[in-house]
Amino acid sequence: MSRVGPVEPGEGTHVRDAPPAPRPRRGPRAPYLGRHRRAVTGALLAVAVLAGGGSLYLTRPRSEPPPAPPYPSQVTAVAYLYPQAADVNTAPRGFTFAVGVTAEFGPPVTVVAISQPYAGLSVTSSPRTPFRTKPGSPRKITLTLRVTECGKVPRNAGLPFLDVTLRNTRAMETHSFILGPSYARDLSRALQVACSNDSR
Amino acid sequence: MRQRSLIAITAALAAGALTLTACGSRDDDGGGSSDSGNGGTTVVIGVDAPLTGDLSALGLGIKNSVDLAAKTANKDKYVEGVTFKIEALDDQGQASVGQQNATKLVANDDVLGVVGPLNSSVGESMQKVFDTAKLVEVSPANTNPALTQGVKWQTEKVRPYKSYFRTATTDAIQGPFAAQYVFNDAKKKKVFVIDDKKTYGAGLAATFTEEFKKLGGEVVGTEHINPESKDFNAVATKVKNSGADVVYYGGEYPQAGPLSKQIKEAGAKIPLVGGDGIYSADFIKLSGAAGTGDLATSVGAPVEELPSAKEFVANYKAAGYKEAFEAYGGYSYDSAWAIIEAVKKVVEDNDGKLPDDARAKVVEAMQNVSFDGVTGKVSFDEFGDATNKQLTVYSVKDGNWATVKSGTFTG
Repeated sequence: MSRVGPVEPGEGTHVRDAPPAPRPRRGPRAPYLGRHRRAVTGALLAVAVLAGGGSLYLTRPRSEPPPAPPYPSQVTAVAYLYPQAADVNTAPRGFTFAVGVTAEFGPPVTVVAISQPYAGLSVTSSPRTPFRTKPGSPRKITLTLRVTECGKVPRNAGLPFLDVTLRNTRAMETHSFILGPSYARDLSRALQVACSNDSR
Repeated sequence: MRQRSLIAITAALAAGALTLTACGSRDDDGGGSSDSGNGGTTVVIGVDAPLTGDLSALGLGIKNSVDLAAKTANKDKYVEGVTFKIEALDDQGQASVGQQNATKLVANDDVLGVVGPLNSSVGESMQKVFDTAKLVEVSPANTNPALTQGVKWQTEKVRPYKSYFRTATTDAIQGPFAAQYVFNDAKKKKVFVIDDKKTYGAGLAATFTEEFKKLGGEVVGTEHINPESKDFNAVATKVKNSGADVVYYGGEYPQAGPLSKQIKEAGAKIPLVGGDGIYSADFIKLSGAAGTGDLATSVGAPVEELPSAKEFVANYKAAGYKEAFEAYGGYSYDSAWAIIEAVKKVVEDNDGKLPDDARAKVVEAMQNVSFDGVTGKVSFDEFGDATNKQLTVYSVKDGNWATVKSGTFTG
């Protein structure tokens, strides 16, 4: 019996009605928020959309950066063409050769300077340096060489070369172009003629 | 239902097995062999180089680079139905061992091309063996002109062997190029010339000397050294007493390093200049601090200048090879790729399989191979020489080889 509770509530056992829930307290800005609830919600949504968009933008698949242009010496060919007849301005100690300069691909290449290594010889070009070569458009260049001191010029070098300073958007560099046996032969002949009557 | 599934599975397995069998059928006609692992035909690219001994730094760079080319071709399925493998043999830098290796490679029917060797003297001993078997050989490093242009190359060029090709520039250009640099740019006028009496070293020293004299330079002394020795004190004293302002050495780095050191120790504080045979990190180790200012010419343009080399360098690194690719890595990769291109042409011209006379056909195809390789455009002239002839002068600076000047032969 003792475990059985009152069948009917006795005195003082009535469950009281719950007191009315307290009204939520409103902060000092409550009236403002209440009035601008739509605007606030809109702003939050806009922020969320912007954040999502930004995230998508930042994580978008990106294309590889374009490869760097090639070094100018790797895309430029300088080839010996032929000797040209000497004129009154160059003879007797000067002579001219034609060479071809070609930029094979990539950005245009500027020929900044052309020189040759021998102490007793000078070289100028037409067109004068600097000049530009466009890819795929070979240019014929006339080189005029003048002997300044026969004693400082080798008469029969096997592999004479030109030092050509080249520049493109990648780099500026000086490269030796060894023009081969025809240039070596023609240069030797011209030097022998130029220095054959050397009185100095 | 269970029975129907069983039949379907059995049929599928049977079909798969038949397909595998068909792919793996032995191609007895055209060389190469079946490869049950991947399906298709296996073609072996032989490699001959010094894999042990003094010159192994260069040799292992050659082997690894060929391996990389074969793996790249397999990964890209570059030649349909063909899987490339390499068989690398160690010649120890010895001509007689190289010749034995050539015979061994010829005996393996799956070998359709060989990359190597490093040394011109070894190449000389292998050429006839390969040519008789019509087996193509592409050297990334032999520079002696006679190998492609005959012994009378200076007066009458005659190609001795149709099966021999090389991607490296010859000493007919390298020696004079070095002479021009030493005389005109470095302003050295008195040279002491030393060589190791071997095909490469003596040949290179000769082409250097000839051009140096033509330019007006003076040869104040010459000596030969014994490549088996590391004691060069007697020669170093002669250099000191000669009044030379530069030494030119025709030979390789195992001797060049100690020679440079001993010359400086003898009191001659002058640079030693050599060819591609000394262009190795090991030269700098051997010559020590005394090697600073020494010079080397080597074949090709500096790797960092070649956009085509960038991928090779990255892939080599990614492959995790222990040894550096050294001076001939790019040329070795290109040599192997030239063989791969030739095999591809032969297979494509024969309805997708190797013909009976695959080796002879590969030799023919090699003559017309042309592709953009690691070292630039790769193709061969009528002598089997590379058409791309570039050279670079390097100087030892701060314990490394630094680029000084590059040149291109356009004749």
